[in-house]
Amino acid sequence: MGSWGFIGLAYGAAAVALVGYFVFLRGRLREAGEELRALTREGGRTKR
Amino acid sequence: MMAELMRRTWAMTWKDVTVELRARERVNAMLFFAALVLFIFNFAMGPDQEKLRAAAPGLLWLAFLFTGMLGLGRSFQAERENECFEELLLTPGDRESLYFGKLFGNILFMLMAEALILPLSAILYNLDIWASLPALGLVAFLGTVGFSAIGTLLAAMTAHMRAREVMLPLLLLPLTVPVILGSVHATGAILAGQGLGEAIHWLKLLAGFDIVFLVACPLAFEFVLEE
Amino acid sequence: MSAPSRPSRILRGLAGLVLAVGLTLGLAVVPPDAVQGEVQRIMYLHVPSILTAYLAFTVTFVTSLLYLWKRDLRFDAVAVSSAEIGVVLTGITLVTGSIWGKSTWGVWWTWDARLTLTAILFTIYVGYLMMRAFAEDPPAAARYGAVLAILGFLDIPLNHMAVQWWRTLHQPSSMLRPGGPSVDPVLLLPLLVNLLGLILLYSHLLLERMRLERLRTEAMALRLTRGRRG
Repeated sequence: MGSWGFIGLAYGAAAVALVGYFVFLRGRLREAGEELRALTREGGRTKR
Repeated sequence: MMAELMRRTWAMTWKDVTVELRARERVNAMLFFAALVLFIFNFAMGPDQEKLRAAAPGLLWLAFLFTGMLGLGRSFQAERENECFEELLLTPGDRESLYFGKLFGNILFMLMAEALILPLSAILYNLDIWASLPALGLVAFLGTVGFSAIGTLLAAMTAHMRAREVMLPLLLLPLTVPVILGSVHATGAILAGQGLGEAIHWLKLLAGFDIVFLVACPLAFEFVLEE
Repeated sequence: MSAPSRPSRILRGLAGLVLAVGLTLGLAVVPPDAVQGEVQRIMYLHVPSILTAYLAFTVTFVTSLLYLWKRDLRFDAVAVSSAEIGVVLTGITLVTGSIWGKSTWGVWWTWDARLTLTAILFTIYVGYLMMRAFAEDPPAAARYGAVLAILGFLDIPLNHMAVQWWRTLHQPSSMLRPGGPSVDPVLLLPLLVNLLGLILLYSHLLLERMRLERLRTEAMALRLTRGRRG
């Protein structure tokens, strides 16, 4: 593997890790947001 | 005040020691495990005597550490099984003496195990330990204190956890790398006949480690034992 | 709470911009290193990455102390969020360090001081995250986490000494400098720019991860009151 191959590998792996974490975080945020909305809606229906 | 602290500490240590002496559960398990470890290492490393001798400091401390972890894992077992944690918290007085009481018990058990493992490994691996016994004893003591200081705290922390048997080693070993490196290298220097002089900066590292965590861990114990 | 806040979005945008500049500088503008050649460019990512990880773990340390002192759960939220991002950054440091090692020494792993220390750091904080996941209840997770974060942080200088002495067995005074031979100041530029970019990115991710904690905390509070009524 040439120099640029290694460089590409390193930067690529870092990009994958950061983007991957980003996506993972966004997914969890979406889930938590939906759950909170569902719980709030439920609560609103019964009483405050 | 000081006398009160020491009395409470001693009470805890004495409790642990007498319970153990009656049941002999912990020490037996530790010793049997240590002997097993020494034997298996022999088979894993192969028959070459020289290679074994060279690896001896590392193997010795691996035996000490695994055995130590076994003992640590059980140090809060009685409290957990009999749901005594709440009672521990009810006993009047500060948490520090509870911590030190447990710590001294753990150090004692680990040193006892080491006192038996050392001659055994000297026989199995053909080591000359008698010439440098005091020096080896010092290294063993410093290393054991450091390992047990963090180990006692983590044992209390993991006592209630799921997967506690895995969590204790997982948390303890990375944190005690300085102890492992320092103890193994100091032991190696001593066994190679270089005396304490060579090993002096490792000993300083061990002592420094011990001081830092003998201060930090009892303070932290408060927070672990809450509720 | 359901969308990134304005400061968070600004940080994200800035991070992207700065990193784009840094990448261009590091990969295209700056000349290759006289000694190491092109693969030196990996350092423009590897070094900022570990430095930002240290920043993250320092934040965790400080907020852990603050949490134990003030018992404000918001401090704990910062602590765990920062630690999580720190773990990701440390992982990146390990991988880029390993790849650099392969390109320079031909092996994916060596037990040199830098890689070893980074690996230990990684396991300590992965252990922190696991411990929080396995703790018996959230208040315990916060307390134990704070204690572990503090112990881990205190451990870092001791680990440094131990591992560096281990690798330079007969010259305890000549510590190996990270980054290899001394660096030409021109080559420092992409490193600093990327460092700034990563710090901005860390800040954005921190805010987002904290937002996740807030959402979860609120959901849990609602569930609890629901349960009491229910």
